[in-house]
Amino acid sequence: MSKPVLVLGGGIAGIQAALDLAEQGVDVYLVDKLPSVGGKMAQLDKTFPTLDCASCILTPKMAALLRYPNIKLIMCSEVQEVSGSAGNFLVRILRRPTYVNWDLCNGCGTCVEKCPKKVPDEFNMGLSMRKAIHIMFPQAVPRKALIDEKACIRLNPPPELKEKAKGPLCGICERVCPAKAVDFSQKPETIELNVAAIIIATGMELYDPRNIPEYGYGKYQNVFTHLEFERLVSATGPTQGEIVRRSDGRHPKRIAWIQCVGSRDVRFNSYCSAFCCMAATKEAILAKEHMPDVECTIYYMDIRAFGKGFNEFVNRAKKEFGIKYVRGKVVKIDENPSTKNLVVTYEDTASSYMKKEEHDMVVLAVAIRPSCPPIPVDLTADGFVKLRDPYLDPVSTTKDGIFVVGVVAGAKDIPDSVTEASAAAARAALIAKGYEVPVAVDGGGYLA
Amino acid sequence: MHEEPRIGVYICHCGLNIAATVDVKEVAEYAKTLPNVVVARDYVFMCSEPGQNLIKDDIKNLGLNRVVVAACSPSMHEPTFRSAVESAGLNKYLFEMANIREHCSWVHGDRKLATEKAKDLVRMAVAKAALLEPLEEKEFPVYNSVLVLGGGVSGMRAALELARYGFDVYLVERSPTLGGKAALIGHVDLQTRGSDIVNKMIELIRRNSRIHVFTNSELIELKGFAGNYECKIRVYPRYVNERCNSCGECEEVCPIDVANEYDFGLSRRKAIFLPFKSAYPPYYVVDHRICTKCGECTRVCRFNAIDLTEEPKELNLNVGALIIATGYDAYRPLKGEYGHGFHNNIVTLFQLERLLDPEGPTRGELIIGGKVPRSIAFIQCVGSRNTTPNARSYCSRMCCTTAITDAIKIREKYPYVDVYIVYKDIMTYGSDESLYLEAGRRLVRFVKFEEEPPSVVISPEGIFIDLYEYTIQERIRIPVDAVVLSTGMIPRRDLEDVVRVTRVSIGGDGFLREAHLKLAPVESPTKGIFLAGAVTGPKNIMESIRMGSAAAAKAMDLLSKGKVVAEPMIASVNEDICSGCAICVGVCPYDAISIKLVDSDRIAHVEEALCMGCGSCVAACPSGAMQQFGFKDKQVRAQVLAAFG
Amino acid sequence: MSGDFEPKIVVFACNWCTYAAVDLAGTSRMQYPHNVRVIRVMCSGRVDPQFVLEAFSKGADGVIVAGCHPPADCHYSEGNFKAFRRFTLFRRLLDSLGIERERFRLEWISASEAGKWVQVVNEMVNDLKKLGPLREKLEVR
Repeated sequence: MSKPVLVLGGGIAGIQAALDLAEQGVDVYLVDKLPSVGGKMAQLDKTFPTLDCASCILTPKMAALLRYPNIKLIMCSEVQEVSGSAGNFLVRILRRPTYVNWDLCNGCGTCVEKCPKKVPDEFNMGLSMRKAIHIMFPQAVPRKALIDEKACIRLNPPPELKEKAKGPLCGICERVCPAKAVDFSQKPETIELNVAAIIIATGMELYDPRNIPEYGYGKYQNVFTHLEFERLVSATGPTQGEIVRRSDGRHPKRIAWIQCVGSRDVRFNSYCSAFCCMAATKEAILAKEHMPDVECTIYYMDIRAFGKGFNEFVNRAKKEFGIKYVRGKVVKIDENPSTKNLVVTYEDTASSYMKKEEHDMVVLAVAIRPSCPPIPVDLTADGFVKLRDPYLDPVSTTKDGIFVVGVVAGAKDIPDSVTEASAAAARAALIAKGYEVPVAVDGGGYLA
Repeated sequence: MHEEPRIGVYICHCGLNIAATVDVKEVAEYAKTLPNVVVARDYVFMCSEPGQNLIKDDIKNLGLNRVVVAACSPSMHEPTFRSAVESAGLNKYLFEMANIREHCSWVHGDRKLATEKAKDLVRMAVAKAALLEPLEEKEFPVYNSVLVLGGGVSGMRAALELARYGFDVYLVERSPTLGGKAALIGHVDLQTRGSDIVNKMIELIRRNSRIHVFTNSELIELKGFAGNYECKIRVYPRYVNERCNSCGECEEVCPIDVANEYDFGLSRRKAIFLPFKSAYPPYYVVDHRICTKCGECTRVCRFNAIDLTEEPKELNLNVGALIIATGYDAYRPLKGEYGHGFHNNIVTLFQLERLLDPEGPTRGELIIGGKVPRSIAFIQCVGSRNTTPNARSYCSRMCCTTAITDAIKIREKYPYVDVYIVYKDIMTYGSDESLYLEAGRRLVRFVKFEEEPPSVVISPEGIFIDLYEYTIQERIRIPVDAVVLSTGMIPRRDLEDVVRVTRVSIGGDGFLREAHLKLAPVESPTKGIFLAGAVTGPKNIMESIRMGSAAAAKAMDLLSKGKVVAEPMIASVNEDICSGCAICVGVCPYDAISIKLVDSDRIAHVEEALCMGCGSCVAACPSGAMQQFGFKDKQVRAQVLAAFG
Repeated sequence: MSGDFEPKIVVFACNWCTYAAVDLAGTSRMQYPHNVRVIRVMCSGRVDPQFVLEAFSKGADGVIVAGCHPPADCHYSEGNFKAFRRFTLFRRLLDSLGIERERFRLEWISASEAGKWVQVVNEMVNDLKKLGPLREKLEVR
C-alpha cells in the first residue's frame, strides 16, 4: 500500500509531477494558492521557440488531472507548516474560503454574469476587470466560481452602504445560482496531510519593477512588464490580442523591450533569469505578426539564446521579422507628458555613447523571484531552493524526501521544468511505495 | 455487432446553459422520431448522479445498446458518460455525444435557429451511434527490464534510478569503458571534476546487481513494440580479462599507436591500453578495430590476462523499454579554421580540459607548446551560431560556462598569465552568471566581436588574434602565446547506426528529435523509446544527468503497471481488401505499419501497441481496406449525410 | 442572391486544436452564425477528400477542413502536413468541377484561437451568401 505524495504548486512542473505520480499508481495531493492550476504558463499566449500555443499544450494536461481518481486538487491553499521526515511528513495547510461549495458548483457562470461588482483581474495583470464572484479564466481547472471577499459587497460591505442597509447586502449570486452553491458562511479551513514525500513546484513571481524607479513602471502608463504584454497579445486576454497602450488605447508603433531589469544587477539580483531574452524575442515576433508595421527594438546585454532552437529563433527574428537588437544597458526612461511616449536613455556599447530613443511602448524583462514556501529546506544565497547535489541527486533539496522542480530552484524554461518534474515524481514514488530512503545503501548517500 | 441498434438519447438542460436558448423538450421529441431511437429524455443535469442513473436504468430496462447524450463538449464529460455506460454493462465505446452547449446554446442567440441546429447535431450523433461497434482496450504484458544505450553520465544515472525501482537494466556502451565525455572534463564547476562525478556513479553501478554492464558493445537489432522489445547486442572482444593488473608491460611492446581519443588527440595510445585511471571495467583493453594480432602483448603478459582468440558474442535481450543516451561529439575545427592544425599552441576547449585535469597528459599543469603560456585567449562559438561557414546554427550551451570556469581556474593557479575571452554573447545563464562576475573580478579580459568572427594569425612573431572589437569599434590585434577554441557539441558521427537500428527520428539540427520539445522532452516519438542527455542537443553535465533521471521515470511510467494498454481507436486492416500497396506504411509517423505475408499475399499489418490513432493511413488507403475504429469511413459519412437532413 | 438564403457549412475539426477552439468560442460566449455543423475527427490527416465531395453532394454549400498549425502543433506529428498535401491537390479537382474556391477552406486553428474560428465562420457565411447555394449535384459513388 502506498502513501500519498504532496505536490506543492500547480504550474506546468507541478502538473507534470502529479500526472506522472498518478500514472504510477501513487495518490497525489496537488496544492495551489490560486483557484486554478496552470500557473504562469496559462498566462502566456505562445511559447518560444516554436511559437506553439501555450494553452493548447497546457490545457489537455490540466484536464487530464481530473481524470485520475488518485489526484486530489486542493486549491486556494497554502502550506503553513511541515514537520516529520521522509516517508512520514505532517503538512498543515490553510485553505482560504471560496464562499462557493465546489462540490455543487458546476462552473456554469450564471453568478458571474449577474454580479454587480467589478475589480481588476489579476489573471489579466490588472489590464481588465472581473467580477467579485468569478471563475479564474475560461479554461480553469477546476472550473469553479469563487468570491473575492475584499471585493464582495456582501462579505465586505462599503461603510456608507452598511449603515443604511437593514441586513446583509447584495447576495445576487446566491439567489441566481442554479446549483445553490454559494455559501457566505464558509470559513478558512485547516487541512492536515500525512504524506510520504513532498515535491516543491511553487514557481515564481516577478521582481517588483517599482524597486527600479528609473524605469518608471507604475508611474508611466505605457511601461509594461513581460507578463502584462503576454496578456495583451493573448487571443483570450483583456483586449482579445490587440496590443494597445494604456494611456490612449491606441496601437503602439515603436515598442522597446528592456532586458535584465533587476537581473544581472548587483544592486538587485545578480543572477540571470535565463528565459527573458527568448521571451522578448517571442513577444517582438508576436507584435510584428499582429501589427506588421510596428518597429520592435530589444535593448540587451547578451542575447542568451542557449537552448534548442533558440539561436535559430533569434536569427528569424532579425532576418524575417526585422526585429532590432541594440546592445546597451538602459539607464533610465522618461515620459513625454503630452504623448505619454517614452524616451529610453541607454549606453550604446557599439559607440560608447549615451543615446536616447523614443518609443511609444516599453516592455520590461523583469527578473524572476522564486516563490519559496515555508518548508525547512536550505535556500541558495539568491533565495532559490537549494539542490543537495546537482550531479548525484538532481532534484533533491537538502532534506530527505523533499524534492524541488521548476523555476523555484533556478531560472529555467518549460522543457527543463517538465524534465525535472518527471524525475522528481519517480523519486517521490519510490518513497511513497515504501522503498527505503537510505543514508548509505549501495554505498551511496546520494541516491535516495 | 449485427444486432439492431437500440439507441437512447438524452438531452441535457445543463441548468439554464442549454435550456435558456435551446428548446430541450422539442429536441427530445424530435429525437424520438429518428431511426433506431427507442427512448429520448431530457434532464436538467445529465452528468449528475440522477442523470447518469437515467441512462443506466434505461440500458437495463429497455435493452439499450447505444447511448447518445446531447450536452456539453465531449472534452468535459465523455469519460463521465462512458463510465456510466460501462457500469451498466454496456461497452463504453457504444456511446456518442452531441455538443449542444459550447457549439450551440452558448454561441447562437436565436432560440429557433439554435434549436434547429441542436436537432441537426443530435441527428448526426444518432446516425453515427447506430454504426458504433464495441471496442476493446487491449492489454499487453511487459518486460520489467530496460536497455540503456550509452554509458555516460546520463545513461548511468538512468540505470541507477531504474535499478532502484526494481528493474533489470542492461547498460550497453560502445567504448571499452563507462564514463563518457564527463570523465574527461577537468573542471565541471569550480569545485568539481568530471571524474569525481563519474567515479561515484561507477562505484554505485558496480555494487548494483540489477545493472548488467556491457562495454565494447553495440545494439545491432531491435524488434517489437513498447513493453515488448527484443534486442540483439554484439559484445566485441576485449581480448583482456580480469586477471590483468594494469602493469602496462603489454602497452610498451605494442607496435600500433594512434591518437588518443581519451585526451582528445593530445596524446597517443597503443592498441592495447587503459582508457583512463578509473575506467570501468578497471583493466586494459585491446582496440579490436586496429589490433593486428601480432601477439607481442600476449608474450610479455605475466598474468595470462590476454587471449587474442576471443570472439565477438551476440546476446538476445528482452526489455520493456529503451533509453538512448549516446551523447555527442566535440566539434572538430577544419584544418586552418582559426589556425587549427597549424600550430601546437592552438587547442580546443576539450583538449584544455585534459590539460587542466590532474590526471591528464600534463598532470594538470597548463603546459602548451612545452611551457606555461604567458597569455592565452579563448575564442567562443567555434563551430556554433553560424560564426563560420562550417559552423552549426545553434548555440552549444555549455561552452561559455566551461571557458569561463577554466579561465578562472587558470587565473587562480597562474596569476601572471593573461587570459582573454573573445566572445559574441556570454551565455552564462541562470545562476552561472556568478561565474561571469567572478571572472571579471579576476581580471579575465572580455573582448567582443559581432558579425565578423575573429581570425587567428600565425606569424614568425607569434600568434595574434585579429578582430573588429565591438565595444570600441576598432580593429585590434592581440598577441597571445596560446589559443583555446571553444568548440561546441555536434551529433555523434555514428548516430546513424543508432537511428538505423531503432528507427528514431533526427531533428533539423542533426540531433535526435523529442516527441514534443515542451511536453515530452525525454521521449522519442516512438512509444517505449526514451532519450536522455546530449543526444537530443547540447546540454551541460547537470542537465544531462537530470534528463537521465527523467527518462528513467518515464520508462517507469510505461512499465510500472505490468502491462501496456493499447489505444482502442486505432487503425485496422481488412485483409480481404488489402492489396499490399504499402502506401499506408510510409504515411504512418509512428512506424506502426509493416507489410507481412499472409498465405503468400502481401498484407498491411498494424502494430496495435504502436498505433496512436491519427487516421492518416485511413485517408491514404486507396481501397478502403484501412479503417479506424471509432472513425470508420461509414461512421464519418453517416454524420456528413445527417448534417443537413 | 435571395436574402433568405442560409448557407449550410460542414466542418471537419481536429480533436486537439480546432475542436478545442470551437469549444473555447463557446466558453467565451462568442456569438457567430448558426450555419456550421462540426464533425469531430482525431486529426485533419484523417479527412478523406471523399467526405468533402459527399458533403457537397448532399446539401452542403461550403466545407471547412481545420487542423493544427504546421509545423509543430500536430498532436500526431505530421497529420496536418498530409491534410495540406491532399487538399492542395483537391482544390484543383474542385476547380475542374466548377466549384468556386470560396466554398472550400483548409484552415489552421489552434486551441486558443477561438477568435479565428469565429472570423472564419463569418467570412465563409458572407462569401457563400454572395455565391448562393451550390446547385450542381455531384454524383459520387
